[in-house]
Amino acid sequence: MTYLLKKSEVNQTLRAWTSKAHVYAPQKVQKYAQFLPVGEDFELSVEEPHNTRFPPKALFLPQSETLLKYNPQKRELESAKTPDQPRIIFGIRPCDAKAVTLLDSVFSSEDNPDPFWQARRDQSVLVGLGCDQPCATCFCTSVESGPFDRSGLDAILTDLGDTYAVEPLTERGVSLFENLTVASAETTQTIQAIQEKATREMPIAFGREGLKAHLDELFENEIWEDFAKSCLGCGICTFLCPTCFCFDIVDEVRKSTRERNWDTCMFKVYSIEASGHNPRPSRRERTRQRLMHKYSYWLDHTGQTGCTGCGRCVRYCPVGLDIRAMVRKSVATPSEVPHVD
Amino acid sequence: MDTAKKIVLFQCQWCLYAPEDQDWVDHHLPENVHLTKVPCTGRLDPLFILNAVQGGADGVMISGCVPEKCHFKEGNLSARRQMDEFSDFLNYVGYDEDRICFTWLDLQDRGRIQKDVAEFSKKVEALGKSHALNTRSVLPQGGAHD
Amino acid sequence: MTELENRILAEAQRLLSENLADVVIAFKQADTPLRPQPAFFTDAEAVNDLVYNGLCQNNLANYLTRYPREKKIAMVVRGCESRSVNALVLENQHPRENLYLIGIPCEGIVDWRKIVEAVGEDVLSVQDQADIVVVRTPKGEFTLDRAALMHGSCLRCTQKNPLGTDVTIGKPVAEQDPHLLRERVKNFEALGIQTRYEYFRQESERCIRCYACREACPMCYCEECFVDHTGPRWTESGVTPAGMQGWHIIRAFHQTGRCTSCGACERACPMDIHMTYLTDKLNTDMYDKYQFVAGLDAKTQTPFAAFNLDDKNRFVAGGTSK
Repeated sequence: MTYLLKKSEVNQTLRAWTSKAHVYAPQKVQKYAQFLPVGEDFELSVEEPHNTRFPPKALFLPQSETLLKYNPQKRELESAKTPDQPRIIFGIRPCDAKAVTLLDSVFSSEDNPDPFWQARRDQSVLVGLGCDQPCATCFCTSVESGPFDRSGLDAILTDLGDTYAVEPLTERGVSLFENLTVASAETTQTIQAIQEKATREMPIAFGREGLKAHLDELFENEIWEDFAKSCLGCGICTFLCPTCFCFDIVDEVRKSTRERNWDTCMFKVYSIEASGHNPRPSRRERTRQRLMHKYSYWLDHTGQTGCTGCGRCVRYCPVGLDIRAMVRKSVATPSEVPHVD
Repeated sequence: MDTAKKIVLFQCQWCLYAPEDQDWVDHHLPENVHLTKVPCTGRLDPLFILNAVQGGADGVMISGCVPEKCHFKEGNLSARRQMDEFSDFLNYVGYDEDRICFTWLDLQDRGRIQKDVAEFSKKVEALGKSHALNTRSVLPQGGAHD
Repeated sequence: MTELENRILAEAQRLLSENLADVVIAFKQADTPLRPQPAFFTDAEAVNDLVYNGLCQNNLANYLTRYPREKKIAMVVRGCESRSVNALVLENQHPRENLYLIGIPCEGIVDWRKIVEAVGEDVLSVQDQADIVVVRTPKGEFTLDRAALMHGSCLRCTQKNPLGTDVTIGKPVAEQDPHLLRERVKNFEALGIQTRYEYFRQESERCIRCYACREACPMCYCEECFVDHTGPRWTESGVTPAGMQGWHIIRAFHQTGRCTSCGACERACPMDIHMTYLTDKLNTDMYDKYQFVAGLDAKTQTPFAAFNLDDKNRFVAGGTSK
């Protein structure tokens, strides 16, 4: 069943939701949009065709989080409470929602789930906004996803101009949208056409047939030296990436807390060992790591590519490195490993 | 209710020549004054001052030897230049520069430290509790940047 | 290719073919329309990819510290970059004899953020054409006034013509009023201490600790940055107010007497954080208090590397001081 929600009624819908949950939606911070709690006075910012700069993965894995508190006087340890907050996240793009499901393979493992992650996942309803006009930097269709991919979503919206088409996908999604007009058969066809067109028209960034095997063969190739030359080694690509999940745990001694912060393989100190040895001593190893992790090692660990084509790393890299171009260049580079026929 | 203004005192370990003065600093400092001894004011890094300020210091006092009388010859001169600029910079971003002061002590300055601390405490009392840059706090439930 | 690009290309090819340089550092148009990529040409053939335009927004001096001292490095430098090179040579990061500076009087760098503000983030191509910048997006083509797109640091630039170069390509450019930088600082000071703190908070607390500002800065080359120290722990690592504020305050302060106000830090930041107002203050103070400007030559010591008896006792109380 597909329903119609007038754009002029979205704000009141979100406000109504706040009575049963904390609602998060993209709102402007300075000149860019970010997922913020919906309050009394809010202004939605979803008209831009691209996703928010800062990824909504932060809603599930906050950039900084207290895990433990220590009372030095009483010598007592106190675990941080797992979040207890029903949430509705409105306007999340399919690439970001799919990325959250990919991160489940890291944080929701059966034998050792992360309680903080799990609690947030269980308590969140995701209302996605599909992309009818993907940007030049989008490449979700090249990585097993698409502008209307339904992975991880409880409902998906399609922009029809002055209305949104609403397709609830789960029970929780259904319960969110009540008393909406049902879309006619004709409109439903239009919606389908929009979705298919967006998916079809996105240029394919690179072929994935045999990509992993080829990348593995290029491990010692000098191409990584080439890519690393202009790379600054900052954390922009990893922090803005919706599928990056590495973290560091630090004891903030002055605050008597143990905190978890996002970490990045792009920093030299990321892989320094207690002995001082660093298995990734130069940018060459670190740049290689980023690309290989996304397009090879993720497949080893989960069978899925660790990238959903959101395009943030391409848009915000300060030196204009484009991961798609790096993959294409890798594909075009012959490996020197002899093939045994 | 902790309303006394917190003052952090960085004391160069050589600047108090009279044993009574050093004894006063070691054992009789008013409760609201937190002492950190350094081998020379030249050891001071802006990070020391920033840590004090972020931890809630309403005033920061640095006591050292007068120029030309530094135990290590020139440490205090280097401190003077850097701390001068740093206190100016902190003022620029919101921490009143009157909350940071340096006191030079000479050989014959007996009983001065007590007066300087008392005077500075009065000044800080008048300036009131500091809120700017006083940011060392535990993360809110749910973490940050969510 | 423009005439300027052709001349740079010719010089680069000459240096490489005559073995006068091991590498020529410049820019090339790679894959993203808003950002040409820093390029490291080692053979004369590849230099054909070279570009030079107002979108070349990185400070190339940043890459100097990656090379061993024996390497002969040729580099395209604009005003601020040439000063950064001087500052690095002063700090003994590379011997001047192994540098060949191709100076280019600078017409200012286009701020990618101002383009995005005007036409949205979905940009297909950008062409810097002297007085205008033509941007193509899925919505159509836009012609923007170049002057309105200048990055803030360039609007306050005090040294557009490069210093200490081995060759200069292009006509000298008129320098601006040197007080524009100071004016900006004074205007900020005039806001009052409370407003200044609020502004500082608002800016610094958007930080995501990606350290792009640090990595883009030619003067940040420490093997171990103060934020990575764990014994003692100086600065909180996370996105806590103390951590974010501490990061910005101390990074700026570590630039005192070294920063050339190039603005590469701001251009690199993904969260649109302003930070040059911090270093501009420190740079202005170094001039006002010690008549020092970073990077004018590779000889004059920075104020913090020296001190003297006559320094003023601005904030000293008590004792028998002067």
